[in-house]
Parts: sequence; structure tokens; C-alpha cells
Amino acid sequence: MIEIAVASGKGGVGKSTIATSLAIILAKSGWKVILADADAEAPNAHLILGIDSWDEVRDYSEGYVAEIDYTKCNTCGACAKSCAFKAVKLVNGRYVINKFTCEGCLTCSLVCPKQAIQRIKASAGKLRIVRETRWGFPLVSALLSLGRPNSGKLVTEIKEIARSLARSDTIIILDSAAGIGCQVIASLAGASAAILVAEPTPASFSDLRRIHSVAKHFGIPSALVINKYDLNPEYVKVIVEYAVTENIDILGTVPYDDHVPKSLSYMKPLIEVFPEASASKAITDLAKRFEEKILRNWAEWRRKFTPTKAAPYVPIIIKPNER
Amino acid sequence: MYWGVQVGVAAVTGGKGGTGKSTIAINMAVAIANSRDVVLADLDVEAPNDHILLGIDLKDKEAVKIMIPFIDYSKCVKCGACAEVCDSGAILMPKGKYPYILPRLCSGCRACYFTCRAKAISEGYRVVGYTYRTEVNLGSTSITLVTGMLREGEEHVIHTVLAAKERAIREYRDVLIIDTAAGSGNNVTAAIEDSDIILAVTEPTPLGLHDLTLILELASRLGIEALIVINKVGIGPKDKIVDVAKKYRAKVIAEVPYSKDVVSSYINGVPLVRAAPNHPIALTFRKLGNYLSEVL
Repeated sequence: MIEIAVASGKGGVGKSTIATSLAIILAKSGWKVILADADAEAPNAHLILGIDSWDEVRDYSEGYVAEIDYTKCNTCGACAKSCAFKAVKLVNGRYVINKFTCEGCLTCSLVCPKQAIQRIKASAGKLRIVRETRWGFPLVSALLSLGRPNSGKLVTEIKEIARSLARSDTIIILDSAAGIGCQVIASLAGASAAILVAEPTPASFSDLRRIHSVAKHFGIPSALVINKYDLNPEYVKVIVEYAVTENIDILGTVPYDDHVPKSLSYMKPLIEVFPEASASKAITDLAKRFEEKILRNWAEWRRKFTPTKAAPYVPIIIKPNER
Repeated sequence: MYWGVQVGVAAVTGGKGGTGKSTIAINMAVAIANSRDVVLADLDVEAPNDHILLGIDLKDKEAVKIMIPFIDYSKCVKCGACAEVCDSGAILMPKGKYPYILPRLCSGCRACYFTCRAKAISEGYRVVGYTYRTEVNLGSTSITLVTGMLREGEEHVIHTVLAAKERAIREYRDVLIIDTAAGSGNNVTAAIEDSDIILAVTEPTPLGLHDLTLILELASRLGIEALIVINKVGIGPKDKIVDVAKKYRAKVIAEVPYSKDVVSSYINGVPLVRAAPNHPIALTFRKLGNYLSEVL
């Protein structure tokens, strides 16, 4: 089983387009593939594939939310003071739990001198499965309870589902969220490699460096795709230079192509509706290279591109009584 | 209100990444800087980019610290209550041994501290991110940029969002423009809650539409009026966005065509309203800023 996380730091650079295309092309050339949409806050992979119904939708209720019993509450405010998430506030003389930002950690219940606060189970979101898409591979996806915490836990959960469906020769493709926080860490944790997607802009480059340092914390090899490279060919050099210095394998470039958004509005994969479009050709080449260079050559590729210098996550800790 | 600011706060959000939230936020902020005293808060702490689009270096760094438990082994009775209460799985309790803390997983909630009857837990801190305050010089005027930046490798995002928002509100004088992350989770809720108005920036694709719907639903549940900006007009049909806008009674206040000129101002680190003040899209950004300025 090989698990590939497609990530970028920055949003809207083409992660989902690359991840879905890769899944389709690999499946067509005979690989056993599972696609996992690892963005529970803005899950979009199913839309690209034109999927509008699920074989299975499960509730994932691993979450809590605090609830105040106002017959016991003496409005002392201890709950608001203790909440690390600032989810308790005073509204018209009464302490109110913000049901969106409450993490359900129990702290307010523990500090309440009147034992007026309980926590109740709250749904963290939904897990959704299509067992067999048109291309034969399963799609697993999650949808976070709106505005709530725990998207990282949902991503971990869909990865578990993907792994339970996988055989030893399965390629799991994870379409990660934007950012570098809980969802993305959940996606990268335990992954075999990362495909990093960037566009040639300073903003995307900044986010690329951030996501890459997280990939390095996990000690996994990375490959790079530069999307919309023709928007700013000069800046491509800057990114390539970084990739070379950092021992990131450069998988290829994809041009800006308005067939990409057009295919989105058809809700059909780009490579199928516009196979002759320049982006389709570039992505197809990219997938072939991915197959030849990485999958068929896995052990060697991994050895070559795994970061040599360990760069593990080191927390900055301030001991009690230290400044 | 918790955040203690009654008027003058607009949050730019949208659900999907890369729809143009930051571009629109910085251009509006710069556009109204002559007439209003603007604080811009970049609360996309996982991928903060406003300073890059403004072409400046961040200044005045402050650490965001959250509590991390330290066990006093002379007091610990190995009861395991701390590990049991920990929702993040950050405390391991090997049988017959002392609890063991996994810093990365700790959310800083302090439930263990309050649970421990032996008073064996004391409070240390962990730096999970940073906030910055940078004065952005615009010639005759300036804006204040407050930025939150998650430390690479940290997964608990919310604390840095909250700290940056608090710092921005300390700086707040007249108008606060908040730029949020992509997504629809608690990090976005914390960024947009208690604002006067939400500006949902979307693009005319089914992906933009899907994530916009999540944001409009969230805004409606938070009781905040939402306005819609359709960016990259021309890359796909926008009729469904207009439909969902109607459904949520959210006004579409601007349509911004897709243009490579926006991309180049983005690349050069000069907001379009400054780089090309008479560009039609710069004028649209300015109009948007003025609209906001009138509402706030």
C-alpha cells in the first residue's frame, strides 16, 4: 500500500484537479486506487468526478459540546475565564456556550462550582463513501459539521476507511486541504510520499515552503507539480531552484488552461471532456511520469528523495516558572 | 459581544481556497485607507499571504502560548484521571507508570490540570504560533496589518487565530477588515463571528458554489449578513451562484472578471489599486471598499 498526499499549503492551486486526474489515469492503467478527499471543510473531489450520491453516509459523532443548566448557573463566569477556546461569552447577563467553537474539552464543567455544565455528544460530521466510481475506484469523503472543530479527526477517520478498503498493492491518493494545520497534518501523518502543488507566485511559494517543512517533519519524500506555470515563467525558476536545493523531485509543470474551470462546470473530469486541452496533456504526462518514475520504481525513488537530514517537529516548550 | 467591538468589522471569507479572498481584502483595505483608519487582520494563520501581496516584511513578533501540563512526580499518584479526561489523546498512561505527555497533540485546554486531585499538574507553555503587527506605508497614509502565523508542525490552529484577532482588536480604531482561511470549520467561525458583515468571495464553478453554500449557511446560523463577490467571472456560468444568493438573501455586490493583470499585481506584491489605479478591476475593488466603508 502506497499513500500519496497531494498538498499545497495555498488553496486553489489545483490539488483536487491533480489528485482526481491521477486517480483516474492510474485506475485506467490497471492500478488499484482509492481516492480519499482529505478536506472535510471544503470537500470538492466528488464534484470534479460528477458524483452526487453516496453508497453510504455515516455519522461520525466523536465530539462533544458543553451545555449550561441555567437553573444551577450562578453566573460566576468561571467557565468563560477557563475556556482556552474563548467559546463562552456573556450575552445579556448570561453566560452562553458558542456551539460552533466549543471543543467539548470538559474544562468548563470541571471549574464550574455549581456543577451546572454538562457536555453532550455532538456530531463531528459525516463520512461518505462511494464504493465504486465510474473508473472502478472507491471515493471516501468527509463533511465537517458546519463551523465546528475536529476536521482533523474526520480526515484521520476517512484515512482509516481508505486503509480498510485497501489491499497490499493499493495506491491511496489523498486530496488534502489547504493550509498546514490539523487536517493537513492528519493527511500527511503516515503517508508514504507527498505531491506538492504550487503555482509560480510568491504567495504560493511561501505556502509551499511551509507545507514542505511539515512534510519533512514526517520524513517523507516529496514530488513537485508547478501548476499554471506560464502565468509567470520567471518565478518558476525560483521554485525549481528551491526544489533542487531541497531534494524535491520535480514531477512536471501544467499550463494555465481555461478548459480546467470549464470542465468543472460540466462536472466531468478535465482529462475526459477535453483530452486534447494543453492542461489535460500535461496532466496525463505527469501521471505517466508518476507511474514510471515513482510507482514502478518505488523503493529506489523513495530512497533517493527521502529527506536525508532528519527535521522532526520540535515543540517550543516553556517550563512552569520559566518566562 | 465577546470581542467588544460593536461596529466596523468586515470579514472576507468564502470556503474554497484560491477564490481571491486575500486579493480582495488587501485591495479594499488599501482603497479606503485615505478616508478610514484601517486595521487588516490576516487570520489565515496556516497560509498567511496578505503581507506578501502587500510586498512587506512582517514586524513586531509576539509568541502565541498555550498551556501544556507538567507532572510533578512527587505528587502524582498515577491515578490516570488526566489521561482519561484528555480528548486530544495527548496524555499516555502506561500501566503502573507516570503519565507521559505528547506535546504536539495537546490542545492546551487544561482539563487535566483541573481534573488532577493530587494537584500534581503545573502549567507550562508551548508556543504554537506567532502574531505580527506591521504598519503598511502607503505614502500619504497607512494601514495596520496584524498577521497570525501558525508554527510549522503545529496542528492546533484556533489559538493563533484567536490571538491574532485579539491583537487586531487591540489595534482597532475605526475599520477592521478580517481575511480568513479557506474552509468552513471553527477557525473560520472564530475569525468571522461578531463581525458586522461577511464578504463571501467565490468563483463561478461548482466547487466555488458548494463551498459558498457552506459559508452562507454558517453566516446565517451566526446571524451575520453576508454579501457576495463573484470573482473570476467568465471562467464558468454564474447562474447557480445567483440562485443560492437569492435563497440566502445575500446580495451579490460585485462581479470581478478573470484577468491576468490581477495575477501580475499579485506576483509583484503591489495591490492593483496602487499598481494600476485606473484599471477597471482596480475601480471595482475601490467601489467595493467604498461600499464597505459606507456600511461600516
